[in-house]
Amino acid sequence: MTTEIQNSNPTILSDADLPTRLRPAEAAKSRAYGSGLFASTLSFPGDSVDPASQYLSAESESEGDDLLEEPIDEQEIYDLISTISDPEHPISLGALAVVSLPDILIKPTLTNVPDSPLRTVTVLITPTITHCSLATVIGLGVRVRLEQSLPPRFRMDVRIKEGTHSTADEVNKQLADKERVAAALENGTLMGVIAKMLETCQ
Amino acid sequence: MATRDANAITQLTLLSDVTPPSLERAWLTAPHPTLPIIATCSSDKTVHVYSLTNFRLLSTISGGHKRSVRTSAWKPHVSGESVLATGSFDATVGIWRRWDAYGQGGGDDTLNGDGDGVKKDPEGTGAGADGGDDDDEEWRFAVLLDGHDSEVKSVSWSPSGMLLATCSRDKSIWIWEDLDDGDNNFETVAVMQEHEGDVKCVAWHPVEECLASASYDDTIRLWREDIDDWGQVACIRGHEGTVWFLDWEGVENVPRGKGDTDDALSAQWKERHALSGPRLASCSDDRTVRIWRRQPKESQQQAPFGGTGVPSILRPTGTDETWEAEAVLPQMHDLSVYAVAWSKRTGLLASAGADGRIVVYEERFVTDPAAVPASSDGEGSGSGPGPRTEWTAIVVQDGAHGVYEINHVAWAKRADRGRAEGQDEEVLISTADDGSVKIWALG
Repeated sequence: MTTEIQNSNPTILSDADLPTRLRPAEAAKSRAYGSGLFASTLSFPGDSVDPASQYLSAESESEGDDLLEEPIDEQEIYDLISTISDPEHPISLGALAVVSLPDILIKPTLTNVPDSPLRTVTVLITPTITHCSLATVIGLGVRVRLEQSLPPRFRMDVRIKEGTHSTADEVNKQLADKERVAAALENGTLMGVIAKMLETCQ
Repeated sequence: MATRDANAITQLTLLSDVTPPSLERAWLTAPHPTLPIIATCSSDKTVHVYSLTNFRLLSTISGGHKRSVRTSAWKPHVSGESVLATGSFDATVGIWRRWDAYGQGGGDDTLNGDGDGVKKDPEGTGAGADGGDDDDEEWRFAVLLDGHDSEVKSVSWSPSGMLLATCSRDKSIWIWEDLDDGDNNFETVAVMQEHEGDVKCVAWHPVEECLASASYDDTIRLWREDIDDWGQVACIRGHEGTVWFLDWEGVENVPRGKGDTDDALSAQWKERHALSGPRLASCSDDRTVRIWRRQPKESQQQAPFGGTGVPSILRPTGTDETWEAEAVLPQMHDLSVYAVAWSKRTGLLASAGADGRIVVYEERFVTDPAAVPASSDGEGSGSGPGPRTEWTAIVVQDGAHGVYEINHVAWAKRADRGRAEGQDEEVLISTADDGSVKIWALG
């Protein structure tokens, strides 16, 4: 990680161009204040409310109510991962367009079991340069972020977007390998890098 | 095998969860070869030993590994003592020992008292069953086998218990000989490095000293010793993704027939089976479960090296084996299949994986070939001679561990009070990401 920077001049999107749902969220917040129902705001003293963690706590409190609406959509996945920092720039994956809203997909995991709660989140990653050896680390960071934030009924499918990387198949196979990911999470050096990338989340 | 009614509705009935479960991911549960106990490997760096009699925790083996315990295997044919090998992400293999005299009934005296408990080891009965010497109750850490460069993924004892095979992300397979010298010495017999990716699983042939391995390089390989030298005798390609797990067929297995007319089929089948030997089942990231069969050698009677007594420098072609794809089981999984378990008692095969589903398949003779369409679920039983069989999924259990992925399944002899008197019933043991282990009866 301490070697020379691989892409010293990446394209950076401006904040205003990034997809957001700021307005509806603001509206919801003011409505909550207006009706005096600020309990949800109270339970999250931080200024940015993480929808996923909100869902998580809601789920555990309601004792696994199956009738819960599905509150996690692509935008919320985007919000979870777009704030991850690039391992070699102090810039977010969203601003670098490494992750983008159209490349996030949520769909039922078991298509022939209609009442199954399992959902597969597919995230296609676009590395900033085609030979970027940090693609695996970025992918791992995204996968770790999602695994830590989403309920266990979500299956992660984090892949390099087709045609954007020279060794995509190799990287994809590693990212899909549960055992390798689990072992990586126990690797102190690697987790140090990942932790630094995730510092900018929340 | 013959006790099951052909028309019975089959389902998995949950007997119990083990309590308390591991609080972190559980990777694999190894049933003891003779005692009603199981060893569950956990990401919490320990092994939890549970009773199959009352499903409670008997002991926790801790302090040996610095990272997740990924795998474990009980050494067969040890009398008076249990020996467990554990493999960890910390790249080491641990060997643990414990005297059998203590706590066989699950630490619950009433279980032994009502005659429903465990048969005590003849050698163990006299020796301090009432003594309760603390030292005898503990798992003793015997030795740490050091050699792999990265995570150990699987360990397996040879049928005699003499050899231990271990494999790792470092792409190598090590074979160790247990010198059984009372000093816990193990000797490295061989290191095989032909695999081109992580070796995910090693599994010994049920009776021969033949090892099968499965890998991240999508292949299955077979290994035998030839004049003091371990080498690859077959490389099986077919799976289109990481091969996660392997299990061998029992030596005596015969597919299920429908009636008297099948006696001839059975005899024919046994004859062919004796020539090719036990088959191998594999499961993969490609979501399939497959069955492989060794092609019988043309002339079994010939001495392997022609009797000249002059060993060639090159590996004699006589040791190479041809393995053919016999069947792809009906495709029942939507995500990676992490485990297969081929029952040595019933011949039933179970699979489980990331989709949280457990599937049990049964192999049956196809009595009327015309009744089987060319594009039936399974791929039939190959082109060779011998009776045709087909595999049918008889149980599909969705969400067996709720929303969690299932990492392992294993068959074991049923030992709880609910079992039928005098019957050799089996249970299926599943192990999941949330640390839970469930014991199922087929009924």
